[in-house]
Order: sequence, then structure tokens, then C-alpha cells
Amino acid sequence: MSDRTVVQLSNVFLKSDRGFEVFKDLNFELQAERSAIITGAAGSGKSLLVELLIGRRFADSGSVEVLGQLLRPRKKRLIKRIRRQIGGVGGIFGLVPSFTVAENITFPLVLAAERKRVQKERLFKMLTEFSLLKQAGTYPDRLTRVEHTLVQLARATVGNQPLVIIDEPLAGLDQKTYQRIYDYMVKLALSGRSMIILSAESLPTDFPNTSRYTIENGMLV
Amino acid sequence: MIRINHILKEFFRNLYRNPGTAFGGFLSMALLFVLFDLFWIAAGTSDRFYDELLSDLKMEVFISEGVSDSSLAATRQAVASIPGIRETEYISKSDARRELETLVGIDLLIGYDTVNPLPRSYIVSFEPEYLTIDGLTGIEGRVLGVGGVSHVYYSRSWLEKAEDAKRVISEVGIALGVVILLALLISSANNMRLMTRARAVGFEQMRLQGAGGVFLAFPFLIEGLIISVFSAGVGWLVIFYFKDRVDFTRVEIIYPSVDQILLFCAGAAVVGVVSGYLGIRRLLRF
Repeated sequence: MSDRTVVQLSNVFLKSDRGFEVFKDLNFELQAERSAIITGAAGSGKSLLVELLIGRRFADSGSVEVLGQLLRPRKKRLIKRIRRQIGGVGGIFGLVPSFTVAENITFPLVLAAERKRVQKERLFKMLTEFSLLKQAGTYPDRLTRVEHTLVQLARATVGNQPLVIIDEPLAGLDQKTYQRIYDYMVKLALSGRSMIILSAESLPTDFPNTSRYTIENGMLV
Repeated sequence: MIRINHILKEFFRNLYRNPGTAFGGFLSMALLFVLFDLFWIAAGTSDRFYDELLSDLKMEVFISEGVSDSSLAATRQAVASIPGIRETEYISKSDARRELETLVGIDLLIGYDTVNPLPRSYIVSFEPEYLTIDGLTGIEGRVLGVGGVSHVYYSRSWLEKAEDAKRVISEVGIALGVVILLALLISSANNMRLMTRARAVGFEQMRLQGAGGVFLAFPFLIEGLIISVFSAGVGWLVIFYFKDRVDFTRVEIIYPSVDQILLFCAGAAVVGVVSGYLGIRRLLRF
């Protein structure tokens, strides 16, 4: 694994809870400042891949390295540290229902023990950037789906997280909203972050700095 | 510092978001604490009552007829020097007769005008710490060993019954205390569990962001501590409110001292933290 490698999965085998073999010798590498768009049908294992990357699930065999660290069970501290460096949007990543929009966005900064002043500055920047100023004090149950996604995107980037994982970001969106979210993902890709985008649908081909993969028969091709 | 702010904020958020659970928890704990306080007061009062009864307990030490009046001072000195004996009072034959006359009248003493068969004796009182069966048995043995003492008398069977009663009260007190403590722990832990369940989705999300078990659990530990101390304090306020409104003319009610109450509240704080931990321990699993 080179210094620039952000994620590396080597010969990963994984069975689902029901004993079905989801990944069979899965290999994948993502370099810094690059993005990967991974498409696959429903049930192909996209969400399991996310769980592998954040240490919520572990491979039956093979290795999963994220941000230079090998993820293994019982490495709780390491996994916590890794999770703090990953911004998550969609899929298993949701908002904390008892937090306001502002609190949800700044939560990674709270975990990083950032100063109050820094938190306020970054929060204001994010709220402005995502047009969420009016919703700052709102709880998630009052937000629209798009606003949910925007808040998650803001949270995923507020701490300058080096890796952002986006699970099904554009599914079921109307054209206007689709374009808004897509434009922001492009902006993120150009900002130098590494991104993994998982989607059931194929995304436009003009996405910058990107490698494209498909999950087929438990392997990435 | 930011984290501490967040943790404190989370504590108030728990109360704000689940006021019913928090209030229910506070109320049930306060009631249990009041029950505990009442039993504590009852135990203290009965203890004092028992001590006062025992303080009247005296032993009669009878002197052999053969001991001359001139040797009495030495005998008295020997008895008084036995550890545990506080005072000795000499009762002469004539004092004994006067006492008997007071008790039974002079009619029964007709024919004993010149003869007084009543023995001389000492009435012995004791230091409080020796007022037990074991203490008095020891003193009895040593008194009987003093030359010139023929026999002794004290209410041994009464003392045995009183000691039994005290032991039973103490055992029931301990058992009740343990039951109340368990009830407190379970009640408080269940409240915490309800609150954590109500916020399970949020906790999972926080975990995915990298929050640790301790970070998530800390507000609940604080909550357990504060609710417990607050309940204990309110319990005592209720007791002292009614203290001035209820009169007991026959029995003096013994209340714990301020130091004891503060210590009790500190104990309640520990119970609160432990119950908080029991309530959220599943959160600590990764």
C-alpha cells in the first residue's frame, strides 16, 4: 500500500448473515484525491462494502485497509479514529434525530474536540454553502429528503474528512435536485478529497478524477 | 472542554426529550428514598429507646453476713475497680428494710422488729458499652470473685429479650435496606434503559461518526447521579417538612445529623452512577 492509497481491499471474502457468499476475492484500491463510482444491482453488496470500510463488519478473509490502517475486530480505538475521518452520506449514514441541523453538522468537530470558534466558523460556512441557514435550528424530522442529504453532505465535509462515502445519493430525485446534489459531488471531487460513490444507477461519465467499477458476482470489475 | 459542554447538553437533552421518563424515575426514586429515610429514623429512634431502657439496668451485689462493717470499704473498692462499673451505691441492712417497708408495708414485717435478716448490698450501675449480655456476664464473674460477695442479681432474662429484639430490628433493617437499594438500582437502571432505547437510532448514528461508548454513556451517568442525589435530597426535605407537623409526645424521634445526611446523599450519588452504568452498559459494547 503506497502513501497515496486511501483504501485497499485485498482478496476479500465475505458471507452475508444468511450464509450467502457476497464477496468472492474482492480487490479494490483508491488513491488520494481520486474518486470511485461503484455501481451494482440491489443486493449486490454495496452496503456491505460500506460496512467493511467503516469497520462495522469484518471480512471472513482478506484484508481491508482504510487511511493506512488495517481494520480488524477488537481494534475499537482504531475504528473510532478511522470513522472520524470518513464522511458518510446516505445508506446506513443518517442524521441524529435529537440533534438540530447545526448540531448534526458540527458533530464531527465535537468529536475532534475543535474549539467553539472554529465550530461556529465552519458551521456558518457549511450552512451558507448548502443553503441551510434557515434550517439550522430544525430537527431532522422536519426536513425534506433533499435537505437530509444536504445536511449529511455538510457533515461529511465539515471536518475536512479525507474520505467521503456516498451511498445511493441520487436515487429517486427530481431533475433539479439531482443536478444540485450532483454538482456538489463534482465540487467535492475537485476539492481533492477521495470519494467512494455507490449507486444502483450509472452516473454521468463526466465525473472528474474518477474510476468506475461494477460489483458482479461478488467481485469488482 | 467542548466535549464536556456537549455531554452536559446531552444530559439536559435527555431530560427535555424524555421528561416523563425522567420525572417518573425521579418520583419513584424519591419515594424509595423516603421509605429508606423513614426506616433509618425508626431504627435510630428504637436504638435510642433501647439504650435509654438499658441505662436503667443495675446489678445488686449482695455481701456475705460474715463480712465485718470495717471490711466493707475494701470490698466496695474491689467491686468499683472492675472495668465497666460506673458507680456503686451501698445499701445497709436498715436501708434494705426501709426499702422493703416501702414496697410491702409494715404488716408483713411484724415479728422482725429486732431481727433484720436482709443482706447488705451494693447497687452497681454500668458504663453504656458494657450493657450487653456478654459485658454483664463478664462483670458478674469478676464481682463474684471479690471476697465477701455472696451472690448477685440483675434482670438477665429481660436483657436477653431486649438484645434479641434489637438484633431482629437490626437484621430486618439490613434486609429492608438491601431490598430498597436493589429497588433503587433496578428502577433507576430501567429508566436509563428506556431513555437509551428511545434514542437508539441517534446513538447508532453517533457511533458511525466515531463516537465512543464512554462519550455516549457519560450523559446518562451524570443523569443517574443528578436524579439520584436530587431524589435523596427531596426525600429528606419531605421528611423534615413533616417533622414539625407531626407530634410524638411519648417518644423522642431521632433524626440523622447533617453530616450523616450529606454522606447519605453521597451514597445516593454512587447508587445513581451505578444504576446509570447498569442502564447503559449495552451502549458501551462496540
